[in-house]
Amino acid sequence: MSDSLEHSFVKQLRENQNIIHKICRLYTNDDDAHKDLFQEITIQLWKAFPKFRGDSKFSTWAYRVALNTAITLYRKTKRSINTVEFEGRQHFLNDVEYDYEEEEKLKLMYKAVYQLNDIEKALIFMYLEDKDYHEISETLGISEVNARVKMNRIKGKLKKILNPLGI
Amino acid sequence: MKELDLLKKDWQKSDNSFAQVSENDIYKMIHRKSSSIVKWILIFSILEVLLWTFLSLFSNIDNYLKEINHIELILYFDIFNYVNYAIIIVFIYLFYKNYVVISATTSTKKLMQDILKTRRTVQYYVWYNLGMVLLSCIIAFTIAFVYNPEMELVKDKIAANNIAMLITIGFLLLTSILFIGLFWLFYKVVYGTLLRRLYANYKELKKIDL
Repeated sequence: MSDSLEHSFVKQLRENQNIIHKICRLYTNDDDAHKDLFQEITIQLWKAFPKFRGDSKFSTWAYRVALNTAITLYRKTKRSINTVEFEGRQHFLNDVEYDYEEEEKLKLMYKAVYQLNDIEKALIFMYLEDKDYHEISETLGISEVNARVKMNRIKGKLKKILNPLGI
Repeated sequence: MKELDLLKKDWQKSDNSFAQVSENDIYKMIHRKSSSIVKWILIFSILEVLLWTFLSLFSNIDNYLKEINHIELILYFDIFNYVNYAIIIVFIYLFYKNYVVISATTSTKKLMQDILKTRRTVQYYVWYNLGMVLLSCIIAFTIAFVYNPEMELVKDKIAANNIAMLITIGFLLLTSILFIGLFWLFYKVVYGTLLRRLYANYKELKKIDL
């Protein structure tokens, strides 16, 4: 493949890497696995890049390939345990907004999200990224109505994890 | 749900929290080898096709037929072999066709279906070969019984004794079942480990779309 194609790819990926990092964070439990998945996604993106026409944004195109890699193509090198050490994870609200109660809630939320299965994580990811149901349904290959139904179920599931007694 | 809005806000602010990968690192990454399951399936598939093609090419029955003085049967076996080659070529073509369709840019469901379809092509190829092995065994036994003069003595013994007949048939059946069982186990272990997650996720996706 030509150098200019390679250059264009590398530049765009560097600019849009956060979307890939977010997916890696969602699907892996530690830094090594994060890097490993990031690398596999990069390889898959590069392989698919000659077919990228530029009629959609690079980020829109990239997150789809990244999700597919995380859910389907990626072969975990290590067996992962489904619990994540959350205490070490920093939260991203800045000091002005710092709120102890909110921080606790966020921790619980992230923990709950990590307990979802691969497909549910993909749905939540797209929800958090403000994707509409049309795009969600196209990305996963399910109908729009069912994507909506499933999303509501996931929200219910999260609610239950956060508040098991339903108080 | 208030918590979800909070999470969304936090999520969308999280961009600054990742250690950034440099262009240099990305250059290095794209020249590394992929370790995706598609690649593993490709490797296993090529090995399987090679193994079975190798076995079918070298399981030569001609010498045996010459040995027992029935050269007229060779023609039938030649035809059998040519049909076998044609089928191998068709299988390899189908595998290649399915393999090149696999693309990470399609929808998740389609990607999974394409991978499973490619995988299934090889599986059919292996089952076809196993069937052929069994068929060859049956033919070989039949030929041995009907044409091989050395078998006359054994035949007489078996015919004279119903229990010996039953034991022979039982033994052949048991060997076949054991043979197939071993293959099934091998498949479960190799592809089960490789595809467990894919099957689970595919099932989940199908469940959503019921």
